Amino acid sequence: MSTLRSFAALALALSTGAVCAQTPNLGRPIDPADIAPWDISIQPDGTGLPPGGGTPAQGARIYAQKCAMCHGENAKGGNNAPLVGGARIANMDSVRTIANFWPYSTTIFDFIRRAMPWQQPRTLTDNEVYALTAYILAENKLIRDNESMNPETLPKVKMPNRDGFIIRFPDKI
Amino acid sequence: MSYYEARTYAPILPNGKAYRFYFIQEVKSFITHPSVGLKLNGPGFYEISGIAYSGAGRISKVMVSADGGKTWAQAALQEPVQSKAFTRFRVPWRWDGGPAVLQSRAWDESGNVQPTRAQIVAARGQSARTPPVTAFISQHYNGPTSWSVAASGEVGHVYA
Repeated sequence: MSTLRSFAALALALSTGAVCAQTPNLGRPIDPADIAPWDISIQPDGTGLPPGGGTPAQGARIYAQKCAMCHGENAKGGNNAPLVGGARIANMDSVRTIANFWPYSTTIFDFIRRAMPWQQPRTLTDNEVYALTAYILAENKLIRDNESMNPETLPKVKMPNRDGFIIRFPDKI
Repeated sequence: MSYYEARTYAPILPNGKAYRFYFIQEVKSFITHPSVGLKLNGPGFYEISGIAYSGAGRISKVMVSADGGKTWAQAALQEPVQSKAFTRFRVPWRWDGGPAVLQSRAWDESGNVQPTRAQIVAARGQSARTPPVTAFISQHYNGPTSWSVAASGEVGHVYA
């Protein structure tokens, strides 16, 4: 009896489902405008970088105020990782830094914008993030001290380890 | 490219180059029973069972050793065997009560073979120190995991 009733309920659900709803009715389609604030990925070629810009000098001031307590004075490291320097990568025990390992400069912008300051992520303006990115690159001598970082200049910075990577499965990417 | 793709999940090779971030997990298997924490209750019959997986297709074969890789027996695969899916394998084993080392190796339908530990250490290198557990320096390790069985029946972890 209960099996029969289940069949009846199922048949009803199927027949009315086709008319009333195409989905389990679990929500509403998300508006692209609602996705936009979360869709902040930046590609190595700079695709996705927002308008704006900043210089190492501007970055230095923000750094002293919001970053130095963890990353140390002049980005030399403190309770958290140093952001300048780094010995040549030799093997899996090597310490990976921005200057000795990261292949793309745009990753610095992406990570600061997403995750920093650690206790207050997403509180920096895009200009502040550009300035901090410029500051870190300048401290590493990867750009000149007066060079502004913006959507055009940042992707052009060639990181020292850009060619240090092997693609494991070239035919599957 | 994200921080984690750029930095964390890019395994460094012995020549100082690194694999660029990739998702594919290569053919791998591990024994889940017996395993660490279990104590075998005296000599006799046990079922060795575990999981095999390949990011390149279906598992085609799993071999199991109870003597650290000297001799092997083919395990049965539990149906259905699906592509890129955990595949349960099992093989009966008579424990004679002496020390034993259990390990498994898997093959997939694309012809890939799970490397031995020696092979993957040669290809990827190995840490000279014990890394902090959060360091994740052995991403994509797909060599065997080996369990030792002591005469007492205690199961432990060994490199073999």
